[in-house]
Amino acid sequence: MPDHPRTPSDAEIIRRIIDGEVNAFEHLLKKYQDHVLRIVKKHMPYQEVEETAQEVFVRAYQALPGFQEEGGFRQWLSSIAVRACYDFWRKRYRSKEVPMSDLSGNHRDWMERTLSRESDTSFHEERRENEAREVLDWALNRLSAQDRMIVELMYFEGLSVKEAAGLLGWSVTKVKVRSFRSRKKLETLLKAVI
Amino acid sequence: MRHLQRKYETLITILREAYFEKEHAEVGGQWQANAMRRIRGLGPLRTRTNFFMFFEQFFWRLTPATCLLILISTALLFKLDFFPEYDLVASLIYDTEELTLTQLFGF
Repeated sequence: MPDHPRTPSDAEIIRRIIDGEVNAFEHLLKKYQDHVLRIVKKHMPYQEVEETAQEVFVRAYQALPGFQEEGGFRQWLSSIAVRACYDFWRKRYRSKEVPMSDLSGNHRDWMERTLSRESDTSFHEERRENEAREVLDWALNRLSAQDRMIVELMYFEGLSVKEAAGLLGWSVTKVKVRSFRSRKKLETLLKAVI
Repeated sequence: MRHLQRKYETLITILREAYFEKEHAEVGGQWQANAMRRIRGLGPLRTRTNFFMFFEQFFWRLTPATCLLILISTALLFKLDFFPEYDLVASLIYDTEELTLTQLFGF
């Protein structure tokens, strides 16, 4: 039987990187790039995805000496990715670069058309329409950076309070309070336009 | 009211689907190379962080011990009556003759 070269574990690769072997980081990048991209694509505007994904790996590299293996590298990297997205939105909101335009007539027509249909099967067709994404962006842009992250992680992705708190580095209490408020805000926003 | 709630829930379901659709957006293949370039530009971790990490790791841990050591040393100095500079200071304060530092140190 041929001997296959053993794939080094994350811990071994991390040890090598900390010992000064910068190029070993490429193993981690290749292994986790899809995972990071999946996170970043959901939270970021399309044109910012590549830059943010790069930023995530650069931050991970810099923070590597402080990495503790408790939750595993994947979980640790997810947390860095989510926090990088949150930082992006915080800066965006602070510099007031988030577009706040009203919903257009097209969007309102789309909502009326979609919501008047009763069949569940129509969801799969409607979600592909650009209008769905634009209405989503419109609603999320009206929330704060914190509310936005909580809505995305808990309301859309269905993470638990503890999971969201771990990813964002917030206390469980803060996430609980924020989750209640952000859901209410989103509900008020959307109910006002349907 | 119930009608509005139903419409809201339908809309949320559609928006949730749209949110997950974002995962399928295609991105270019250059960002990984750019990320590695930036990382290589940062240099190796060990040489870059060694001194500061070492300093950071031990600074706060050693602070209480250092303070205690200073206090003990000061108390010991008082107790042993160790004031070699006492005469020097006294001569500066009480001596009415003007002394230059050169004279004082005997150069």
